[in-house]
Amino acid sequence: MLLDFSQLGWLRVALCGVAGLAVVFLLAPLCLLIALSFDSSQWLQFPPPGWTLQWYQEVFADPNWLSSFLTSVELGIVVTLASVLLGLLAGFAIARGNFPGRETMRGFFLTPMIMPSIVLGIALYATFLRLHLAGTFLGFVLAHLVLALPFSIVAITSALEQTDKSLEDAAMLCGASLWEARIRVILPAISHGIFSAAIFSFLTSWDEVVVAIFMSSPGLQTLPVRMLGEVQQNLSPDIAVVSSLLVLGTILLMGLAALFNKDSKR
Amino acid sequence: MADQITLTGAVQTAPPEKKRRRPRGFAPAVPVLAFLLLCFALPVLALLLRSILEPHFGLQNYAALLATGTYANVLENTFLISFIVTAITALVGLPLAWFITVAPRRLGRLVFGIVILSMWTNLLARTYAWMVLLQDNGPINNFLIWAGLIQNPLPLYGSMAGVVIGMVYIMLPFMVISLRGPLASLDPSMFQAASLCGASRLQSFTRIFLPLLLPGLAAGGLIIFVMSLGYYITPSLLGGAQDMMLAELIAQQVQTLLNWGLAGAASFLLLVVTLALYAVQARYLAPHSQKRS
Repeated sequence: MLLDFSQLGWLRVALCGVAGLAVVFLLAPLCLLIALSFDSSQWLQFPPPGWTLQWYQEVFADPNWLSSFLTSVELGIVVTLASVLLGLLAGFAIARGNFPGRETMRGFFLTPMIMPSIVLGIALYATFLRLHLAGTFLGFVLAHLVLALPFSIVAITSALEQTDKSLEDAAMLCGASLWEARIRVILPAISHGIFSAAIFSFLTSWDEVVVAIFMSSPGLQTLPVRMLGEVQQNLSPDIAVVSSLLVLGTILLMGLAALFNKDSKR
Repeated sequence: MADQITLTGAVQTAPPEKKRRRPRGFAPAVPVLAFLLLCFALPVLALLLRSILEPHFGLQNYAALLATGTYANVLENTFLISFIVTAITALVGLPLAWFITVAPRRLGRLVFGIVILSMWTNLLARTYAWMVLLQDNGPINNFLIWAGLIQNPLPLYGSMAGVVIGMVYIMLPFMVISLRGPLASLDPSMFQAASLCGASRLQSFTRIFLPLLLPGLAAGGLIIFVMSLGYYITPSLLGGAQDMMLAELIAQQVQTLLNWGLAGAASFLLLVVTLALYAVQARYLAPHSQKRS
């Protein structure tokens, strides 16, 4: 009765009402961003007095936006590679190893996930200041890797746990060494786990702000750090443009993910 | 007779021999362990140590944190805002997740897609949008004045209301996601049985629906509460000075006051509450907790 849409009675009206309002609440900011990015008024008037592409031209012509975008991309790629590599090592130890303290180690590996990012941010800032890593690309990579690694470990460990260990044994019986078997037989078998580890690692690095604030320097800023700086100074239409482009990117990614899901189900 | 004895004897001694196999497979974990010790555990420990070492050994930073009026206010604000945000996300998230589960399949998928889209959108993009929406002469106030509901603009931007709205926006998808599993696993025949036995809609809602969803609500609520406690960007951009939350206090102590001792103490407090609440979640609310115990 409560699970059948046609038999909900008055509850159906209430449910549709709440869901409708929630959808408006969820979509309004995203629609506003896109409208503002074409808004001809510099003072973010809504509804816009006219439409313009001026802000898009400004953003594309500004070398600072481009350089922070490229920093974010480079950082994301390096973090993703390192995160998948370390994730594989950790995954094999957790899923295939047999030693005392394995579960404790698994717990320890996942703690960065629940650590408040402000605490991690200032802790790494203090340490990296002493090691002269603050404000360097390497410092950025290490900091983002701490945050991305748990997601990679979770994805790869669960893929490994779902893969039959006898595949590995069979390859070794046929003469492969342990790591040869793992690389040539197990890696292809857990490719979906590696794929999601990579996606999660990249997105973690791409979206991270709080730790990044403490890792950045005036000459080295990721896109979110630069956006934060702009937002704190003035509410310029530039940010609406960058935000709209990010919303568009998200929609494209979701579309790709949906396509990918459909294909893998067939 | 003798054979049987040796047979059972052999069977009994076999398992311990298997258990005594030496530990193996630890080696690949070594680089990961080293990395996380150096770049995670040690820095965090060093920070926490500074809370009792700076400016000199003692608990003075903790005393200052709990006894000073402004800092105590920050703590109160942090818990209050987190609680309100959790309550609102539960109140809106439950009907929304329910709608997504029971609505015609395409509509449900579309609404769920919108939830995910909002969650995946860059955090700063979302917060920036709310900064514009909540202004005194922003779209929300303009609309309310145009509709004749208010005379003067509501003070949304730079107030606790603004912080709550912005944070509910960010946390709502997490509630919908944690309720989706429990909702999908509800058995429709249970509700048919209830209605055959004469239960009204309200009765089956309060006696069956809610109790079965309670673990999901509690788990989602706990995660949202904990995440809210440590939230930094949204409160600092949408709130005023009087709405400061714990994470902002920590950042301020480090960035402008260079008071690492107090920042360490505040971090320790945040960490203890966070870990304790996650421990509660892992012990009582995680879907696997029954399996483990």
